[in-house]
Amino acid sequence: MTRVLSLRIAWRFLRSSPGQSALIACGIAVGIATQIFVGSIIISLQANLLNTTIGSSPQVTIQAIKESDPVRFTPKMKDLVYNDPRVKPGSVAPVRSVPALFSNGTDSSTLGLIGGELKDLDGIYKISDKTIEGKASLGNGEIMVGKEFSQKFNIHAGDSVALALQGGQSGTFTVTGVFDLGSSQFNARQAFVSGKVPQSVLGWANDQYQAIDVQLIKPYDSKAVAASWSSQLPGVSVVEWQSQNASLLAGLTAQSASSYMIQGFVLVAVALGIASTLAIAAVQKTRQIGILKAMGLADRPSGRIFLYQAAILGVAGSTLGVIFSFAILALFSLSPAPFSISMDPKFVAVSACIGVVVAMLSSIVPIRRTSKLDPIEVIQNG
Amino acid sequence: MADASNCDFGTLLVADRLDKVYGEGDAATHALKEMSFTFCEGEFAAIIGQSGSGKSTLLNLLGLLDTPTGGSAIYHGTDTTKISKLERATLRAQLIGFVFQFHYLLPEFSVFENVAMPAMIAGTMPADEIQARATETLSMLGIEGMGKKNANSLSGGQKQRVAIARALMNKPSIVLADEPTGNLDTVNTNLVYDLFREINKETHTAFLIVTHDRSIAERTDRILEITDGVLVQDVATRDMVG
Repeated sequence: MTRVLSLRIAWRFLRSSPGQSALIACGIAVGIATQIFVGSIIISLQANLLNTTIGSSPQVTIQAIKESDPVRFTPKMKDLVYNDPRVKPGSVAPVRSVPALFSNGTDSSTLGLIGGELKDLDGIYKISDKTIEGKASLGNGEIMVGKEFSQKFNIHAGDSVALALQGGQSGTFTVTGVFDLGSSQFNARQAFVSGKVPQSVLGWANDQYQAIDVQLIKPYDSKAVAASWSSQLPGVSVVEWQSQNASLLAGLTAQSASSYMIQGFVLVAVALGIASTLAIAAVQKTRQIGILKAMGLADRPSGRIFLYQAAILGVAGSTLGVIFSFAILALFSLSPAPFSISMDPKFVAVSACIGVVVAMLSSIVPIRRTSKLDPIEVIQNG
Repeated sequence: MADASNCDFGTLLVADRLDKVYGEGDAATHALKEMSFTFCEGEFAAIIGQSGSGKSTLLNLLGLLDTPTGGSAIYHGTDTTKISKLERATLRAQLIGFVFQFHYLLPEFSVFENVAMPAMIAGTMPADEIQARATETLSMLGIEGMGKKNANSLSGGQKQRVAIARALMNKPSIVLADEPTGNLDTVNTNLVYDLFREINKETHTAFLIVTHDRSIAERTDRILEITDGVLVQDVATRDMVG
C-alpha cells in the first residue's frame, strides 16, 4: 500500500516541476543516446574490420606439419570437422594449390592456383557472391581470376589463358569469371581452378590435400577449436587466424577498451547529473516530506519516493535516449560511410536498462537525506 | 485537574516527567522541566503561556514529532520512548491529528487528496472507505464543494479548514493544535473554535490546543499554563474565579 502511495507522491512531485523533470529525462536521454551511438559505431566498425580481414579467408586450417606434404582428409578428420557445432555449416573446404606462371609475351606473373569444389570454396571465399564479371564456374579446364590480374593483363571472361605449371607441365584454361575478394594482392596473385588440376600436377591421391580450410560461426572460437582438434588429430598442424593476426587483435582490444571507457565516462556524467538534480529536488521537497512524515509516513516509504522518481526518470530518459539514438544513426547513415552501422537490439536493451539502473543508483543521496529528515525540523522552522 | 482516577472515558495520555533540553553545555536550553499530567479521552483543553515558554515543545513531544531528553509520553499505556521510530510513526498516523499555525497543505495535491492523505499513509482503510470518509470529513467542515481544487487556490480560512479535515481523517483519539488560528481573522478564529468544540462533542475526539490568547483558552474545559518550561497551573475552566 505504501509502495503505491510513494509512487503516487513521486509522480506528483515530478509533475509539479515539469521543466526540471524534462531536463533530467533529457540528460539521461542524451547520455544513453551517446552510449548507444558510440557503442554501435564501435561494434559495427569492428564487425566490418573482422569481416574484411577474415570474412573471406579460412579461420582454422588443418595442414601437414611439413607444409609441402599433403594432409590426408581421413574419415575420422571429416567426422570431427563436419560434426563440430562451432563450424559454420557449408564452410569446410579441402583445397590443393600449386604455383603457376602466366606470361603474355611481354609481361609475366606468378599465380597461385587454389583448387577445390566451387561449393566448398564458396563456403570460405564467397567467390560466387564476389564475381564481378562472367560467372562462377570451376569445371574441367576452367579458371577464375582476380580483378587486378584481369586488369593488368586485359583478360576477361571467355578468354583463354596458358599457364606453365610445376614440373614442366602446362595447361590452357578458359576464364569463366573475374572475382574481387577485396584484397588487391589476393586478386593479383591467386586464381581458382578445379581441385583436379593441382591433384594431377602434384600426383596426390583423392583424399590428399594441401589444407582443410574452415570457417567458424564465432570467429573468436578459433583458439579453442584449434586446441581441441590438435589434441584429437596427431600428426597434423592446426593453425588459426588469431595467432596469425596478433596486431589486429591488439588493435581491436584497444578499440573496445576505449569504447568502454567513453561509455563508462558518459554514464558517470549522467549519474552525477541525475544525482545532483535529484538532491536539489529533495531539498525543494523537504517541507512536503516533513509534513508527510509528521502524518506518519515512515522513513522507508519516504525514501522510496525519490527511488521511484529516479526510476520514472530513468525509464522515460532511456526510452527517449533509444529514440534519439535511432534518429542520430538515421542521420549518420545519410552521409557516405565506409561501413554500415547496425544497432544490436540486445546492446540497445542493455544500454536502456543500464540507464534505468544508473538513474536509480543516483537516487541514493536524496533517499538517505529524506530517510534521515526529522519532521520536527520542518515543523519548528515553519 | 485530571488524573487517571477521574477520567470518565479512560485515560488517553500520560505526560510522565517530560523533560526537554536543546543544545549542550553552556548553550543548553532547558525548554521543558519534568512536566507531568494526565489527559483523558475526549477532553477539550488548552495550553497557554508566553512565547518561548515551552508550549510548542510540549505539543511536539506529545505529538511524537520530537523525543524527550527525559521522561515519556504514554498513550493508552504504551511508553512511546520504548518503541521504535517506525512504531512511533505508525502510532502518530493512527492516533494523532495535527493542526498547525501554518496549514502545511501539500501544494502538489488537490484538497480531497490532502484530506485523504493520512488514511493513505496509515494504510488501514480500503480505498472506498477512504473516499467515503474524506467526503464525510470535507462535508463536516463545510468545504465539500472544494475537493477538486488545488490546495494553494484556497483562502487562509479555507486552507485551515482543509488542515482540520485532514487532522480528523483517521478518526484520531486526539487532535494537537498549535496556534491553529494564529493566521486567521477574528471571524475565522471563532469559526474554527466553534468547529473544534462541535467535533469534540460529536465525535468525542480529544483536543489539546496551544494558544497564547487567554480568552480563547477560556473557551475550553481545561487550561494548562506553562511558564519557563514548568506547568504552573492545571485548572478546569468551570472552577476558575471571575
